[in-house]
Amino acid sequence: MRSYWFGVIATYLHLIAMATYVGGSLIMEFVVGHAQKSIPPAQAQVMGEKTADRFLLLAWSALGLLLVSGIMQAYAKSVEPMLMGDGLFDSGYGWSLFLMIALWAVLVVNGSIMTFVLRPRLKGKMGAQVGAAQVQARQDHLMKTVRQMQWITRADLVIALLVPLAGAGLLHGNGLFTTGVLAPLGLG
Amino acid sequence: MAAYVVMLAWSVYLGGALVMELVWRPAQEHLPMAQIGVACQVMGRRYRWLALAMLAVIAATGLALLPARGPGTLTLSTGYGRTVAALVGCWVLLVALVVGMAFAAHPALHARGAADLTPEARAEARAGVGRAIRRMDALLRVELAVALVATLLGASLPAGGML
Repeated sequence: MRSYWFGVIATYLHLIAMATYVGGSLIMEFVVGHAQKSIPPAQAQVMGEKTADRFLLLAWSALGLLLVSGIMQAYAKSVEPMLMGDGLFDSGYGWSLFLMIALWAVLVVNGSIMTFVLRPRLKGKMGAQVGAAQVQARQDHLMKTVRQMQWITRADLVIALLVPLAGAGLLHGNGLFTTGVLAPLGLG
Repeated sequence: MAAYVVMLAWSVYLGGALVMELVWRPAQEHLPMAQIGVACQVMGRRYRWLALAMLAVIAATGLALLPARGPGTLTLSTGYGRTVAALVGCWVLLVALVVGMAFAAHPALHARGAADLTPEARAEARAGVGRAIRRMDALLRVELAVALVATLLGASLPAGGML
């Protein structure tokens, strides 16, 4: 164990980042999204855009903070060689760490697709001189994009529920594969 | 499993407080007052039960986790015991804040005046809603501050507490 305060601050930042991403995603989906349906469509669109823009910023900050505080925690517990792959698959702790890093990477990939591919598609506007067929095609394209975004959001929610499971195993023991719910897999 | 549940419940609670403060409040500036009122009402109705349920889950799973630390650690003579006591204090404060917001501050935001009010009475009713909004904002900030302190206390528990 390295410095007491370094470890406590690392855990503190990690918990805040996790709460921002995990809890924030759930609240955005089930509380803010639900309230959005209760106001007229024009205002609902404004509300959706403004809240999504701000939450996207918050979510990216949380993913960045998860990485930094995760590395800090590895140093605090003197397991930083595992981050370079040294002995990562030799213990249940290493397997749990690997699972967390893999899930974090999936969240980053999903976040990148949402931010840089799907959301820009929703923001494009049509000119005034377009025909009915083009308007229909644009609407179909928008609906397809919205459906893709919904699928990614749901996948993110499932992953967001799994990440704390791996984290709880690391914080309170030797990882999921040794003492946790995945112990029967025998990877410890 | 209890560690997972307490972590998830705390994440939902703290994440909700952060979203309300950092996402919803700034977004309100772009909406008409009437729609803010409707959205706040719908959101508040769902959020208050969710927040109270999460605080209840945190208490139940937190209690289940405590004996795992071993006998003799839950006294005020140990750092761990004092930190747990401070956490319990934060939890009581958070429950009081959520209950206060849910059943006093939140309903005051939607006070409606009768149609036959005098201009003075109408202005007074509007000023009352303004005061209720400021009171709600202050309570939300206090709630977030207490939740962040509780997170710091909780973060120190695996290392033996901090007080």
